[in-house]
Order: sequence, then C-alpha cells, then structure tokens
Amino acid sequence: MSRLALLSFIILGGCAAYVPPVVRNEHVDLALMQRGRTLFAQRCIECHTLPPVWYYSREDWPRIVDSMAHRASLRPNEREAILSYILAARDIPVERAR
Amino acid sequence: MRALFLSILYLSILPACFAGVRHFGFIYEAPTSAPGSFELENTITSKDGDEVAFRHEIEIGLTDHFQASVYFADWSWTESRTHYDDAAVELIYNFTNPVIDPVGLSIYQEIRGGENFIEWESKVIAQKNIGRFIFAYNVTLEAVWEGERLAEREGEFSNAIGASYEFSPRFSAGVELLHECVFPEWRDAEKIRNVFVGPNICYRHANWFVTVSALAQATSTPDEAEVQVRAIFGIGL
Repeated sequence: MSRLALLSFIILGGCAAYVPPVVRNEHVDLALMQRGRTLFAQRCIECHTLPPVWYYSREDWPRIVDSMAHRASLRPNEREAILSYILAARDIPVERAR
Repeated sequence: MRALFLSILYLSILPACFAGVRHFGFIYEAPTSAPGSFELENTITSKDGDEVAFRHEIEIGLTDHFQASVYFADWSWTESRTHYDDAAVELIYNFTNPVIDPVGLSIYQEIRGGENFIEWESKVIAQKNIGRFIFAYNVTLEAVWEGERLAEREGEFSNAIGASYEFSPRFSAGVELLHECVFPEWRDAEKIRNVFVGPNICYRHANWFVTVSALAQATSTPDEAEVQVRAIFGIGL
C-alpha cells in the first residue's frame, strides 16, 4: 500500500512539475492563470506532450506559443492566458507547486 | 452545386487550424479537437496486403470538450476491385484531462451505415500523459447488422492499450496491443479471440501528421489477417 502511495506521489508530483497549479499571489490574475493552465493542458496536448514550463526561457516562450497558436486555434486572449500562466508558473519552485 | 461551391469557399477561407495528432493507429486518445478546428483525416488499412480499406474523414471541433467527425467515404480494394462500403458519424465527448486529472476520460460513439450494413460502436477512452509518455486505453463494444434484411448479426468486445514516447516535438514512437472477442450471432460458441501487437510511429509538422502502425496477430485465428498495417494522414484545413 505504501509503495502504491509512493508511486502515486511520484506520478502526480511529476505531472505537477509539467503543469504546476496556480498559486495565489498578489501579482497574478488568478482567473486568468487558471484559464491559461486549463488551455495549456488542453490544447497543446492535441499534438505533443507538454514540456516542463522551466524547460524554455522566459524569452523563448512567447515565440514558441506564437508559432503554435494558429494551429491550436488559439484566440488572442487564449494565447495571452497561456503565456501569462507559463511565465508565472515557471517562477514557482517545484516543491511549492506540489 | 451551389452548396458544394459555398462549402469549398468556406473551407478555403478558414484559417489552417489543426484538430489534433493521432499518436496511435488503432487506439483513440482522450483529448478532443479545439473548437472551430477542421481536419481532413485519411486512413489506409491493409490486411495481409490482400484487402485494403480507405477512409476519408472530416473532424470538427465543436466545443472545448466535444468533437464530431463525418466519414464521408469508406471504401475498399479487394481482388483487384474497388467497392464503396459505407459512411459514418463519430462523436467524442471529453470529461477529464490526461495531464491535470489523474486520468483523461472520453466517451465515443460511432454509427455507420452502408448497403445492407449498420454498425454501432461505443468506446470508453482513457489516457494518461506522464512526461514524454502517452498511455492510452480503449474498451469498445461493437454491434453489426448486415446481409439481406440485416439478418446477420455480430458483436465484438475489444480492449486496446498502447504507449507512445515523444522523442522530439515532431516525432514519437511506441507500441500498441489489441485484444478482440468476436461473437457471431451474439454467441460465444466459436470462442474467437484475437490478439494483435506491434509498433507505431508518428511524425508531425506544421498542420499535418502521419501515423503508421503495424500489428501482427499473436493468436492463430485462421480467418483473421496475420498482419494489419494502418497509415493515417491528417491535415488541418
């Protein structure tokens, strides 16, 4: 049972590292972040798996999202929500995200 | 004619939105297409090279969680002859996400009709993405009525499981396994059980993708193909 719990923790923890939950913060629009996280996990996986948000730099992410926004049928506000989420989430330490 | 022209014009002015990549040849994945996306999917399935089936499908994302597809032509080539088989409608509703939620779940319904032929196919689709791995599972119940006055009946219960690893954002490869229980006349007198297993590869770029799966029969059912190869080519319209 404890092995199962450990396995679940590793798997779910691993997933959290890929799409960290939104953490309440006075500098972020929580609703926008939640929407961005949902869209990131929903639209991007139609074509590929998700890279960890820390995998690319803050400077690279806008270009990456722009290059795929059209293919993922993202409207400008949805693109903004995804980018806002990624940039906020990549600054969250993984331990805190879990 | 005017409707056809307007349809072509409408499709031509749409942005090239992509409905989604298929990482597996014989297994469906839980995510549904983005709302407003259109994709043309062409599938070729060869059974031992003797029989080749073609499918042309338009996939449309209707909402964040619901997609519909129209198989406007299922046709086949056997014994040097082509034959139009049927057309179908497929609907998929997604409940949970394979990344955020513990497991991604969708339900699938397909209704197919042709000359002296009706098929009803229901599936539950489960998927989990862990890092660069995609794990997918389908459980399917299929009912077929065919022949004169649709008097012949057959049922099939199948399980399919697969894993795919993404080597790069454009390329992934994996393995899939299909287990079928066939019930002619909805009876299990013949105990027909088929297992197919084999690799798959998927390449995607811009608004198109190609997926190829080759499954070999691991059982020894005489009337079933020894090798099934399926290629899917999808392009965003």
